[in-house]
Amino acid sequence: MSGDQSCTSGELLSRAISGDTAAFGTLVRRHQRSVYSLALRMLADRHQAEDLAQEVFLQLYRSLSRVASEQHLAFWLRRVTMHRAIDRMRREPRYLTTPLAEAGLVAGESADADPILEHRLRGLLEELAPAARAVVILRYQEDLDPVEIGRTLKMPVNTVKSHLKRSLSQLREALTASGAGGGGDRPAPPQPLPSGQRTLV
Amino acid sequence: MSHQDMNRDDDLGLEQRLRAALRPVDPGAGFAGGVMARIATERPGNVRTFRARAAASWGGFALAASVVVALLLAHQQQMRRTEQGLEARRQLIEALRVTGDKLDLASRMVNAPPPAPNSSDSGA
Repeated sequence: MSGDQSCTSGELLSRAISGDTAAFGTLVRRHQRSVYSLALRMLADRHQAEDLAQEVFLQLYRSLSRVASEQHLAFWLRRVTMHRAIDRMRREPRYLTTPLAEAGLVAGESADADPILEHRLRGLLEELAPAARAVVILRYQEDLDPVEIGRTLKMPVNTVKSHLKRSLSQLREALTASGAGGGGDRPAPPQPLPSGQRTLV
Repeated sequence: MSHQDMNRDDDLGLEQRLRAALRPVDPGAGFAGGVMARIATERPGNVRTFRARAAASWGGFALAASVVVALLLAHQQQMRRTEQGLEARRQLIEALRVTGDKLDLASRMVNAPPPAPNSSDSGA
């Protein structure tokens, strides 16, 4: 329905709750990128990520009446996706580490200047423990702050901060060791952050 | 540049790279269609509407209320039985006490020494 595109997620949510499946379809299209990307970065497997993302939307369909608002919807989707992904990783340990060659298959479609470094970073990210990986993904993909991450993962804020600190230092060391830190011993100097993006610690 | 400044620059550089590496990507073109197809093929009983869920919650509430009422009734009955038992015990103790008194009295009468002969009879 073309009219759905101009509706707010809140309006679509109300219509979906009252049984409008077209409105629900629009909601899916609106949030599929975020949900799928979270699942993809956690599982590092396109098919598994797509399957998990579909399950999340099915669960949303069954739980629509419990979703109170647009903000709650985004929070709910992130939380369910991350918890389902972590559960799947713990059930099937093959997701815990992914060979770098396979990790390259799930690279983003970016026209970035350094795709090799991005590929390497994603590979290193897949070597992190599930909880630490989830924290880093929510921080840098979804741009959530530690408090929001803590609420999403039901984790104390201090644990979130320590996961972030440890993961960043682990990633930095691994990049430096592999010489992928921007062509030298240290990463290249940072560019100014785009507006709306927050720095970490 | 101090060591601290260098570390902060390192962090900022790494954070920017992580943001770039973790840019969200789109799923396949038929993703939303796949979700809607899965919803459509689910058995109607599995995808419950709001009304069905409300009915189910009322059913659950009614069931829980019935269980509570049944438990209360069972508890009351148990209390009544306990009281009856206590009353029966009290009556039994009373009966045993009365019986004991009677037996005691009878025993005393049986074992009592015969009355001494009257002195006026001996002189006759």
